[in-house]
Amino acid sequence: MPRYELALIVKAMQRADTAAALRRTVEALLERGAVVRDVENLGERLLPYRVSKHSALHTRGAYFTVDFYAAPDIATDLLDHLGRDVDVVRPTVLKKESAAPRGPCCGPGPSRPQGTGTGT
Amino acid sequence: MFKVLGERGLPVARLLTPRGGPALQAVRGRKSRTDPPAKSKEGRIKVPPPVDPVEMVVLGERYTEYGLIMRALRLEFKEEVLRKKYEQETGSVAEERARQDTEEHRSLMAWNDAENRRMLRIRQLRVHNETEEAELKKQVAILQREQQMQELIKEKEKEILQLQEEAKNFITLENLDQRIEEALDNPKNYNFAIDKEGRIVKQTVLK
Repeated sequence: MPRYELALIVKAMQRADTAAALRRTVEALLERGAVVRDVENLGERLLPYRVSKHSALHTRGAYFTVDFYAAPDIATDLLDHLGRDVDVVRPTVLKKESAAPRGPCCGPGPSRPQGTGTGT
Repeated sequence: MFKVLGERGLPVARLLTPRGGPALQAVRGRKSRTDPPAKSKEGRIKVPPPVDPVEMVVLGERYTEYGLIMRALRLEFKEEVLRKKYEQETGSVAEERARQDTEEHRSLMAWNDAENRRMLRIRQLRVHNETEEAELKKQVAILQREQQMQELIKEKEKEILQLQEEAKNFITLENLDQRIEEALDNPKNYNFAIDKEGRIVKQTVLK
């Protein structure tokens, strides 16, 4: 199964409400047949810009990350569901690439011998 | 009656081979067949050109002599040509030449056959070597592929084991609450800068 990551921005609330929102989200995932791997908290911080959602303007938000394994077809359904949730400011489902070790793709190449001065 | 207007309208072949017939022919000019002759030509009597009998006799003799000589020469030349052709086809020299030709042909054919046999031997050897090499390569390729398959299987098995290990830490309905509490207690921060050795250089603080 491919591995996804749900980058979730939740309204800035009390701890209990945030916990309840998270619980709702994870339950929604589980009932759609996903296998949740981990939930991470990226802190409550100022949003980069003011977001208006569900007829309310949000300035601060709590960032969470949920990585899970799921079938590809639940993404749209999940986004629909999370869009309807009042506490969720912005849900984003991203694909998680398996960490394949790539060679050096950027940066200076292998050390070349110095050229004969500058041409200009 | 009617003027002879020169060689207008005459075919070119007649010009190139004058054989005694008249080189000029009468050509109708302005008037057609049915037009009456002119008044100025009334009472005209055509007379052939006058001939001198003595001259005629002399000329006749000379012409016959000339004709004889020419005919004789022509026949001589024709005979010579025919004789040469006959000589070429069925003379003694021709037989020699024919024999030499057949000899040459036989020797060349023999040489050609020898060459063909030599090339055949070389080709057979080459083909044999190539097939052997191809066989060897195929075997090597098969072995390599087998090895790769084995390695792939081992990799996959390792991955499976690793995943099984990690599966023990997944979230289920039972530890959901506990994990949520844990997550809320430990906020993570991924905003750091890293240098080439992998050490953390800068880190922003959560506001």
